[in-house]
Amino acid sequence: MKVRVDSERCQGHTLCAMIAPEVFRLREIDGHSEVIDEEVPAGQETQVIEAVNSCPERAISTID
Amino acid sequence: MPVSTEDVVNDDERKSNRYHFDRHTPEYRRKFEEITEEMQGRCPVAWSDTYGGHWVASGHREVFDLARSAEYLSNDNDLKGERRGYKGISIPTPERMSTVRGGFLEMDPPEQRYWRQALNPYLSPAAVSRWIPVIDEVTRACLDERIESGRIDFVDDLANIVPAVLTLAMMGIPVKDWTVYNEPVHAAVYTRPNTPEAVRVAQLHQEMGRHLYGQMAEIRANPRPGLVNAVVTTEINGQIADDMELLGILSLIIGGGFDTTTALTARSLEWLSDNPAEREHLSRERDTLLNPATEEFLRFFTPAVGDGRTISADCEIAGTRFKEGERLWLSWAMANRDPSVFPDPNKVDLARKGNRHASFGLGIHRCIGSNVARTVFKRMVVQVLDRMPDYKCDPEGTVHYDTVGVINGMRHLPATFTPGPRLGAGLEETLEKVQQICDEQRLAEPVTVRKAQAKISG
Ligand code: SF4
Repeated sequence: MKVRVDSERCQGHTLCAMIAPEVFRLREIDGHSEVIDEEVPAGQETQVIEAVNSCPERAISTID
Repeated sequence: MPVSTEDVVNDDERKSNRYHFDRHTPEYRRKFEEITEEMQGRCPVAWSDTYGGHWVASGHREVFDLARSAEYLSNDNDLKGERRGYKGISIPTPERMSTVRGGFLEMDPPEQRYWRQALNPYLSPAAVSRWIPVIDEVTRACLDERIESGRIDFVDDLANIVPAVLTLAMMGIPVKDWTVYNEPVHAAVYTRPNTPEAVRVAQLHQEMGRHLYGQMAEIRANPRPGLVNAVVTTEINGQIADDMELLGILSLIIGGGFDTTTALTARSLEWLSDNPAEREHLSRERDTLLNPATEEFLRFFTPAVGDGRTISADCEIAGTRFKEGERLWLSWAMANRDPSVFPDPNKVDLARKGNRHASFGLGIHRCIGSNVARTVFKRMVVQVLDRMPDYKCDPEGTVHYDTVGVINGMRHLPATFTPGPRLGAGLEETLEKVQQICDEQRLAEPVTVRKAQAKISG
C-alpha cells in the first residue's frame, strides 16, 4: 500500500500523526503533514486507513 | 441597481429551502439536536431571514464543500469601507460598530496567510509540546488550591485559569496579569447587551485593551520573546500594520486561547461526572483512549460553534446558487452531528473512529491554536482523573451559558470529591516561579529558535 498527503489540501489538523505516528510526520514549523515513506510499513495499513477516514480535509489518499 | 422580475423569481427559487434559524435564542440551545436533524434532513443549506438574511449550512458535506471553497468566500471585515464592505465572521454584525477587525480570521489571503506563517512557529505541535511542563505545573497548583477542601469549581478554579496563563506566557505577557484578561474575555461571551452587567464588562474590556496596548509598547521598546513580539515585528508587503490591526490580531489570539478550551474542558468534565463508568474506563485506558476521546469531546461539544462568511463571487456550491455579497453561516456544531459521517451522532463514543469533525473549522482558516487547545485540555483532564477520581459535579450550582450562538460553554461547574494532600505551592507562588522560568529559559521563542522543552525543578 502507498500513501500520499496532498499538501494543497492539508491544513495541519494533525490527526494523521496522532493515529499513525510511524507513517506521518508533522513539520516542526506549521504542523502540516508529510509521509515518512510513501510505502506503508507492513502492519500499519489499518492505522493508515483510519487516518484517511479521520483527516478533516480529506487530504490523505492511498493506492493499493 | 434596478431589480428585475427575473431576479426576484430567481431569488425565490434559489432561496426555496427556507428555515427560520436563530442560534442566539435559548430555544436553539434546548432544541439543538432536533433542529439539527430537521435542517439536515430537509435543507442542509437553508436561507434564513434572520439578521438581515443569511444562508445556513448544517450538513457535513455542505459545510465541508463550502468551507473549502476559499476562492468564493471572504472572511474580510472591511471596517473602513476600503474594499467591498464585507462584514467579517460574526452574524449578526456586533451592535457596537467595532473599530478593530478580528485579526487574520477576518482577513483573506494572501494577507491572512502571511500572518499565519509568522505565528505558526509558536503554535505548531512541536512548539506547543515544549510547554507541557509549564501546563502541568500550573494545573497542579490550581488543583492544590482546592485539593484539601474536597470542593472545586472546575470553571473558576481550573479551566479558566490554565488556558489564560498559558496563552499569556506564549504571548510574552506577564502571567500574573491573567486576571486582567480573564474576566472580560469570558464575560463578554455570556453577558447580554444592554444590561448593567454589560457596562461593567465593557469597562473591563477597556482596561484589558489598555493593558494590551501597554504591552505592545513595552515589547516594542524592549523586545522579549513571544507572540506579541512576533505581531509587532511582522512586516507584510514591507510594512508593519497599524496599531489597531495589531491589537485585532492579539485579541484574536486571546479570544481563541481562553474561552474555547475552558468550554471544552468544563463540558467534558461534566459529562465524565455523569458517566462515571466511562470516566474510569478513560482513566484506565488513557494511553489509547485519551486521543480519540479528546476528538470525540471536540466533536460532540464543538466549543466554537461556527463561523460567518461572505460570498465573494456568484457561484454554485453543494447544490445551491449563491450571489456575491450574501452572508453565510457555517455551522461546525451541526456538521458534527451529521449521521452520514458520524453514526449515532448524538451519542458520545470515546473510541469513535473516522472522526473527521469540523470543530477547529475546515479549510484555510483552521484554528491556529488547535494544538494548544488539545494539549491543555488533555493535561488538565489527566490530572483531574488522577487527583480527584471520584469527583461529582453538583447540578444545583452548575450554570451553562443561556445561549450557544458563539461558544458552547459554562459559567460554573462546582464539584465535590474525596479530599487529598497538596503536592506543592499555591497558584500565586507557582505563577511567580513559572514567570521566572519563562524569562530565564526564553520559553516563548518560536520553535525555530528554541527547541527544548521547559525545565522545571522541584
Ligand atoms: S489529518 Fe489531514 S489535514 Fe491534518 S495534518 Fe494530517 S493530512 Fe494534514
